[in-house]
Amino acid sequence: MGSSVSHAATLPPPPPPPPAVGLTGVLPPKTEEKGETKVDWLNLPCPVPFEEIQREALMSLKPELFEGLRFDFTKGLNQKFSLSHSVFMGSMEVPSQSSDTIKVPTAHYEFGANFLDPKLMLVGRVLTDGRLNARVKCDLTDNLTLKINAQLTNEPHFSQGMFNFDYKGKDYRSQFQVGNNAFYGANYIQSVSPHLSLGSEVFWLGHQRKSGIGFAARYNTDKMVATGQVASTGIVALSYVQKVSEKVSLASDFMYNHMTRDVTSSFGYDYILRQCRLRGKIDSTGCVAAYLEERLNMGVNFILSAEIDHRKKDYKFGFGMTVGE
Amino acid sequence: MSSSQGRRGSLPGTSRDGEGGVLSRVTSSISQSPVVYRGKRAASEAATVTKKLLWSTGRAAWIAGTTFLVLVVPLIIEMDREQQMNELELQQASLLGTSSPSMAAPAPPK
Repeated sequence: MGSSVSHAATLPPPPPPPPAVGLTGVLPPKTEEKGETKVDWLNLPCPVPFEEIQREALMSLKPELFEGLRFDFTKGLNQKFSLSHSVFMGSMEVPSQSSDTIKVPTAHYEFGANFLDPKLMLVGRVLTDGRLNARVKCDLTDNLTLKINAQLTNEPHFSQGMFNFDYKGKDYRSQFQVGNNAFYGANYIQSVSPHLSLGSEVFWLGHQRKSGIGFAARYNTDKMVATGQVASTGIVALSYVQKVSEKVSLASDFMYNHMTRDVTSSFGYDYILRQCRLRGKIDSTGCVAAYLEERLNMGVNFILSAEIDHRKKDYKFGFGMTVGE
Repeated sequence: MSSSQGRRGSLPGTSRDGEGGVLSRVTSSISQSPVVYRGKRAASEAATVTKKLLWSTGRAAWIAGTTFLVLVVPLIIEMDREQQMNELELQQASLLGTSSPSMAAPAPPK
């Protein structure tokens, strides 16, 4: 017994495989593509957070369209700390009761500071029209995260704040929210298969004595993401994103509001090329929008935004530049 | 009746005498016949419809044109640029004698 063990110990390690020659060294090794790997039901992947369930569709279909001039400058002072200056001059839409859109020319300067740490993230922004935005994200432990969002304004009763506690389990995530106006919310999402995850949320708004419950499902593979969301506020939202190639993805979105009997559907494309990112979308409300971010230089991005609303004859075009990482 | 209608233009060989002339009676009966009346109404309606059709075709063309301009033209321009850059890189790679696909540009803006 002892001799065989010692004999095994003296065996030399097996020789390393010969170095790959020629093309086989460049191409990735052939992996099992055809074989259906057995599903390991105990090791399902962790799902995306509940509020990001429609993340891909939102990224492709809802870029930050603006009207006017936008200029952002970000300067890093440190590896973790950076300051940002931002100027915006243009028209902002004021929501009005009549069908006319009222545009008010506004201009503001925004100063911001960011602190980024693996465990702690602090972001603050101050605007010249008296608003203050703050965001905190703190990893209390490996699985528990605290997020704070606050927006303070000069106008009374318009300030908002929200505390979120996120817990990440092995194949589930849960979140508890506390906000001003006596807002309490909770949501939970669980992976039920390697591709499918289901979630639900409840919320209660104290000031208006409103409560709601919602359910969501997300099915994603490498090439596509399909999500569906139903809420007791009467909203049904479906979305589908197909990744046609590495650079191109197409997205579509459907929303039905039972209370106002509003149906909206939109289709869009998202081209991520080497020097630019172009997003375009067309809506069933007669809205056509495009958003282009073009990299002129290292760290200098040029932004063009266009939105045409054929029904209301409302045209919004904006341009801007983003300097800095 | 025939005096108020008058003669339509000056037809050659029209006899200008006699209100009750055969030709004037014929022309007035033609101009008052229901066929001609309906024909006139149809022509004016056709003109209205044609005008509306042209107007809505013009509107549709405008909507299609501006939508194409906003959605498709930047795409064509960017794809063309991408292709040009690819060709340039290919050319440069073949010039230098080394294939350098790993010399990737920094990630595009997100």
